[in-house]
Amino acid sequence: MKKQILTAIKSSGVLGAIAALTVLIFGGWSGAVIGWLLGTGLGLVRTTGKRVYSPGVGAKLGAQAGLALGIWLFVASLVEGLWLRPISGQSAVALPQTLQFAIAGLALAPLASALTGAFQGLQGNSRRWAVLITLAFILISFPFVDRLAQTNWLSHIIEIQIFVMLALGLNIVVGFAGLLDLGYAAFFAIGAYTTGLLSSPQLNIEWNFWLVIPIAAMVAAIAGVILGTPTLRLRGDYLAIVTLGFGEIVPVVFRNLTAVRVEEPISKLIGTLMGHPEWGICLLGCDRPINLTGGEAGINPIGRPALPFIGTFSSTDYLPWYYLILFLVVFAYFAISRLKDSRLGRAWTAIREDELAASAMGINLVRTKLLAFAMGATFSGFAGSFYAAYISAIFPSVFDFSVSVIILCMVILGGLGNMNGVILGAIIIMAADRLYLPQLAQTLKRILNTSVLPNIANPQWREFLATSLDPIQMRLFFFGLVLVIMMIVRPEGLLPDTMHQAELHPTDDGIQDSLPNS
Amino acid sequence: MQAISSMKTWQKWLLYAVVAYVVLLLGPIAGLELPRIIGDITNNPQVLIQQILVGLVNGAIIAVIALGYTMVYGIIELINFAHGDLYMLGAFASLTVVGAFGVGEGATWQSSLPVMLVALLVSGILCAVLNAITEKYAYRPLRNAPRLAPLISAIGVSFIFQNLGLFWGGLRSFIPVMGVNAAAPKSFPDLLPRIDLLNYFGIQSNIQFTTKDLIVLVFAVVLMAGLHLFVQYTRLGKAMRATAQNRDAAKIMGINVDAIIVLTFLIGGALAGAAGLLVGLYNNTIVFTMGFTAGLRAFTAAVLGGIGNIIGSMLGGILIGLLSALSDQYFSSRWTNAWVFAVLVIVLAFRPGGLLGDSVQEKV
Repeated sequence: MKKQILTAIKSSGVLGAIAALTVLIFGGWSGAVIGWLLGTGLGLVRTTGKRVYSPGVGAKLGAQAGLALGIWLFVASLVEGLWLRPISGQSAVALPQTLQFAIAGLALAPLASALTGAFQGLQGNSRRWAVLITLAFILISFPFVDRLAQTNWLSHIIEIQIFVMLALGLNIVVGFAGLLDLGYAAFFAIGAYTTGLLSSPQLNIEWNFWLVIPIAAMVAAIAGVILGTPTLRLRGDYLAIVTLGFGEIVPVVFRNLTAVRVEEPISKLIGTLMGHPEWGICLLGCDRPINLTGGEAGINPIGRPALPFIGTFSSTDYLPWYYLILFLVVFAYFAISRLKDSRLGRAWTAIREDELAASAMGINLVRTKLLAFAMGATFSGFAGSFYAAYISAIFPSVFDFSVSVIILCMVILGGLGNMNGVILGAIIIMAADRLYLPQLAQTLKRILNTSVLPNIANPQWREFLATSLDPIQMRLFFFGLVLVIMMIVRPEGLLPDTMHQAELHPTDDGIQDSLPNS
Repeated sequence: MQAISSMKTWQKWLLYAVVAYVVLLLGPIAGLELPRIIGDITNNPQVLIQQILVGLVNGAIIAVIALGYTMVYGIIELINFAHGDLYMLGAFASLTVVGAFGVGEGATWQSSLPVMLVALLVSGILCAVLNAITEKYAYRPLRNAPRLAPLISAIGVSFIFQNLGLFWGGLRSFIPVMGVNAAAPKSFPDLLPRIDLLNYFGIQSNIQFTTKDLIVLVFAVVLMAGLHLFVQYTRLGKAMRATAQNRDAAKIMGINVDAIIVLTFLIGGALAGAAGLLVGLYNNTIVFTMGFTAGLRAFTAAVLGGIGNIIGSMLGGILIGLLSALSDQYFSSRWTNAWVFAVLVIVLAFRPGGLLGDSVQEKV
């Protein structure tokens, strides 16, 4: 029994550590929430790939793993409430209350895990339905659980979902078609700015959000085709740098379109040569130059969507936003998974594997590549449109190169080409960046201020610790470290695509040949 | 683009004419107002020469950074995203050395020259070692991994370096030169003499070309020439080229491939360190985020010239420097970044392997 528990603890290692960390830095009911979420995940992981013949077996497997997770949560809750809070200068939680948190985690994790394990034990179609219903239940009930547990994660979850959508879109370009795109944020920006221009006082066009969102996606798709055209002849890293170039050009354009005035060039040139510059036929912004994008100040405010019964979405109530983006993500997932298996999707795989062979088999390279760019851009356009309406303001600085890089990290980290992996990658990176690292930095800083600094006598060292080792300033460092370590531990991504994996590990054991073009 | 090659001649010219018309139509928004530019140049040609000189010096610095990208790419086909940030750390190391010796503005050259040499040595060695360590722990384990894995690792290292720069900038209790605010730009003492050369030789003009510009330019050119000679004419250089061409064949020929790759990273890092010192001395201000922008420019330069090609990245660097300087003057400095990348896109659309790169050939 003891040995079994030990192995169970070991096997739930990473998830358990994440769960414990969550409890340590967030405290309160967060243990119960994360136990519920990770427990469900664990139940799935434990039982996939194994022969689970009956619900009972599945439930047992799930419960075992979930119990280990629960133990992590239990211990972490006690540590957080009774030790961590006092040393970080917060009032300790009373023992009964702490026990409540701890037992909630201990109970919920195995329960959730056993439940999904049991569903996995069902046969045939009912198994798929049960798993789907579990996932749907989690996604739909999450806002209420979040409110009940007072974890206040909902706004972060919405941002995570925006990036899940972006990562799914980029995965089409990079994962399916194998075209390395370093400027994906450009399409995000184009979607957002289209929405901004069409539903804000900027140009006095205030169209309905529901009308604007497909237009934004369409504009982004067209931009994808336009930007894709010059890249058709390029390979590998040259393609990457051209897309990077677009990613740099687009924010500059949005930043500087503050005084637009267009004149017909030929008449203007003739006029200038004849000494009459006023002959130039003016086409746009004649009376006074048009301020199209608001420059650095951006476009503000942007119209919000409205629905019957709910009314206009407000900035304080995240609930409708959550369901809207959830709907968009589910729609994107469904559409992309259909695309992947379609004729087009197989054509993408073919050009990724070998462009020359694909074109010899009759695949139209131009059309297939441009469609990959267009499809990738479409979903980015949806995300951008939602983002613009959600924030209700857009600034050019939001769409920097770093955003493209982060999205690319999500795709590669999750597993190139595997949609579930990409979603996982997006969740991990965004949760680390928006949720965990800031909170961890806060906690560390509190510990530093209350328990470490007063014990250091040397003023020089104290100042050094207080200013230079400020955990809030170390966020980027930790983020970089996470990326490097994850890549070294799992270079193929968390959930590698089976087909990609087959390519990467060729069966012949000869010298790994490094083709210059591959 | 495949479509273009199958077009008839008149169709091609029609296409070019349409593109040119669109550029002329929309270009003025981004500062491309031909009548004004031509007027500016004819009214004051000295400004043009001045900007070309500025562009040359900046381009030379970009080229030195670009060499680091191109060498690493040539040998392991990795876009080393961390290289720009490495150069930023080089600038910080130089500033630390200069601050430690306490030489400031107006120091005689007898006192500042040794300090600069020490700074060059320290920052060069530091960057070289850092680069080699990074190679060992962040890139080498991924050498046989999927192509994009080392890229992400490099991005992670870039974040780490950037944060190290911020950390370094905040060490005011140990390094007083760093100033109060960790994130704020640091001023780098102006140690190079500024004698206006044209005036010195008795030529009257508004063109400023000082000894400072000359020293930076000459130093950058010496670095590039030295590297070129090293790669072309030494045994180690030959081994590097062999490794770049085909790692396995090089291994069979008895070349210690791992050592050669480490050597490449060492040289690239040392160049980054030297470039860091140069930029500090030339611009007199450094900031922890500067590695990113400079890295992007340098990487663009390397690709423009044909990545993996050492002469190409020098050419690319100079071109990018010139283009930025001219765009700052004649188009609009706000649009310079867009113009730089637009030129890159246009060049690559017509020469997909960069200016001096090999034309991409399909191997079947």
